[in-house]
Amino acid sequence: MSVLQIHHLAKRFDTVLAVDDLTFSVSSGEIFGFLGGNGAGKTTTLRMVLDIIRPTSGTIKVLGAAPDRRATSAIGFLPEERGLYSGMSAIDTIVYFGRLKGLREPLARSRGMELLERFDLADRAKSQIGDMSKGMAQKVQLATALINEPELLMLDEPFSGLDPVNQGLLENEILRAARRGAAVIFSTHVMQHAERLCDRLLLLRRGRKRFEGTITEARAHLPATLIAITRTDLSALPGVMSAVAASAEGVEGEEWREWSLTLAPGTDPGAVLEHCSSQGIALRRWDHRQASLHDVFVQLVGPEEVKP
Amino acid sequence: MNSANILLVARREMAQILKMRSFWLTLLILPVALALGPLLGETLADTDPTRVTVVDRSGAGAANALEARFTADETRYLLRELSRYAQRYDLQGADRAAPWTQRDRWYTPQDLAAFEASGGIEAALAKIETVRPDGVPRFEIPNHDYRFAPPPPALLSAQGDAFAAAARGLFADDPDDTNPEIIVIIPEAYPADGKIGIYSADDVRGSFISTLQEVLTADLRTRLLAEDGVTGERATLVQTIAPTITIDSPPPGGGAREVLLVRSAVPIALSYILMMSLILSGSWMLQGSVEERSNKLIESLLACISPEELMYGKLLGGLVVGLMMLSVWVGCAGVAAYATQGAIADMIRPALEPISSPGIIVAITFFFLAGYIMVSAIFVAIGSMADSMSEAQGFMMPVLFAILLPITFLLQAVIAGNDGIMVQIFTWVPLWTPFAVLARLGSGIEAWELVGSGVVLGLAIVVELVLVGRLFRASLLATGQKPTLAKVMQRLRRTPDAG
Repeated sequence: MSVLQIHHLAKRFDTVLAVDDLTFSVSSGEIFGFLGGNGAGKTTTLRMVLDIIRPTSGTIKVLGAAPDRRATSAIGFLPEERGLYSGMSAIDTIVYFGRLKGLREPLARSRGMELLERFDLADRAKSQIGDMSKGMAQKVQLATALINEPELLMLDEPFSGLDPVNQGLLENEILRAARRGAAVIFSTHVMQHAERLCDRLLLLRRGRKRFEGTITEARAHLPATLIAITRTDLSALPGVMSAVAASAEGVEGEEWREWSLTLAPGTDPGAVLEHCSSQGIALRRWDHRQASLHDVFVQLVGPEEVKP
Repeated sequence: MNSANILLVARREMAQILKMRSFWLTLLILPVALALGPLLGETLADTDPTRVTVVDRSGAGAANALEARFTADETRYLLRELSRYAQRYDLQGADRAAPWTQRDRWYTPQDLAAFEASGGIEAALAKIETVRPDGVPRFEIPNHDYRFAPPPPALLSAQGDAFAAAARGLFADDPDDTNPEIIVIIPEAYPADGKIGIYSADDVRGSFISTLQEVLTADLRTRLLAEDGVTGERATLVQTIAPTITIDSPPPGGGAREVLLVRSAVPIALSYILMMSLILSGSWMLQGSVEERSNKLIESLLACISPEELMYGKLLGGLVVGLMMLSVWVGCAGVAAYATQGAIADMIRPALEPISSPGIIVAITFFFLAGYIMVSAIFVAIGSMADSMSEAQGFMMPVLFAILLPITFLLQAVIAGNDGIMVQIFTWVPLWTPFAVLARLGSGIEAWELVGSGVVLGLAIVVELVLVGRLFRASLLATGQKPTLAKVMQRLRRTPDAG
């Protein structure tokens, strides 16, 4: 079931077209990566889903209806720019946001305490946010996004500013939400998180969609490369787009050479190996190197958008 | 709009303000002032009479004449105060023949003699006690200004410089506050030698010297007349004869100027309180808004509630805090009026009378609330545009000047009884209407002006909330430099594109 449907969405700010004809959907239980560089239109799109700003054109449906504040109880949102009331305690902050999302106070309080325990912050429940470390405050803010057990969880650059331990905690929460049946969208320009978590992803560049699909499909966008050490010339193999030979270091005999093969898009590396085998080509090494999401991102979005 | 969300935001705003020390300090300022005022007044007031001694070396009886004159003046003042008290609380029935129930006259020596003959102040108070209703405070006997005492032995025999040294010694060495503070020396050769000496520990009041001069001048003239063959009786008559003066003045609390001040006291105080509490709660609201922007909270909030809910919640929270402050202050004033006695109670009680009708109470409530919303909305809008308090101050200063400076002139004009064109303009310009109308309630405002300015104010608030709502919505997520005036105007005009 589609929790979020976006159809030909566009948003113009004066002369800048921030989002341009964007269409995608996210289903229940799916983790959807929303990837793009700075200014790609990720935050603008999420704000439109939240009804904080209105689209110039196109439609958005959250749980089958146009977005408005009545859907608040079904949405969890963690903004990129994070902050809380420094004078409020952790538990009061979570309860406050829970109540703004329509929860009754006792339920919000009990869920808030559960989340704080899970985040190892139960003993700091009554501490003021201003007295907490940045990492602790970020976990409290994550709790405010999860307090209502949302059907649509949207996280805008959720991993930025988190240490590796808390990044792991956040990954677990994303997986937990998806297992519960929530549709999870998170924007990022750190590809490792997307590779580990996403069922599907969308690549944005300057407001326009450059790719939507699974990670495998994304990788398939770039040709696979093969490294082989053999005495046979492999440049004429079917499916090979280009081949470069070099002397094979560490292998005795001058006739052995190391070939670097770039396969034509859509070519199955296994089929190339099978062909070599059937032709009796002796191989001393065979490595298949699949394109990384980073490579795909650089290819589709541009190297200047990549954050290491 | 979701009213539950508005209430939640309002509750949080209130909780945040109630946590501030500045709120509690401000809240307690008035009660503490009311409590400490009378105490300090009593503590700081110099209630002890000035001790006077007259060394009369002439033996001509001038010392007795002086003491008699000061006593008579104090008795006259006592009678005047007693008669004001009797008239204010309608106690003339205690003794309609007594001089102190016949106020509108100058008390003659015969009046004073009759008063003393009938038992003085103790007898008068006993009579008043028989008719004094419950709730009417007792009469407080004024303190004596001067107390005459016989000269200390050190002065009796000293002459010339030794007398001056003895007098200064008495002033300097007075651990028990019993020595004279003013010493008058009448020379042995008086009246032939008319040089009267005064030694004093402090500056001598002008009234003391003029009374002294009056008494001794009369004495000298009487003696001169006697030397010219005028009988002593005639000579005294010449000195004491005086016209009978009757006085027709308004009763206490009456009189155009006094009535205006008394009737305007509470309305003008309300206007001041509105101004003060607005500035205070406005700055607290501003702090809250600035915190939300500077702490990057806005996006999290707007994911849950609409900008309008946030704005109205803030306004409501600030309004409730302002009303809390007002309630505490008015409550304290009420306690001061009805549970205490003295100057504050005497001032507040008659001042509350002209504003105790239901219509006036409704008008006060409306204009107070409307004033609060009118000005608070401006503070909320400023808060939505500023990333820091220092940036907010940049917007605040011109706004505060625009509100406060004219109001200061307005209130002075109302206190002075001025109902001219300036006061009229203030009454009809919505930003100043609440202050002008509240201030004018005591001095009198036509019903059509009251209703008309109220309607204009109500409409202005509706327009203001629409415009401030647009500005608030457009400014919340805006980043970058402080918006220029042109940018602010653009945000005010723009049709909302935010949810």
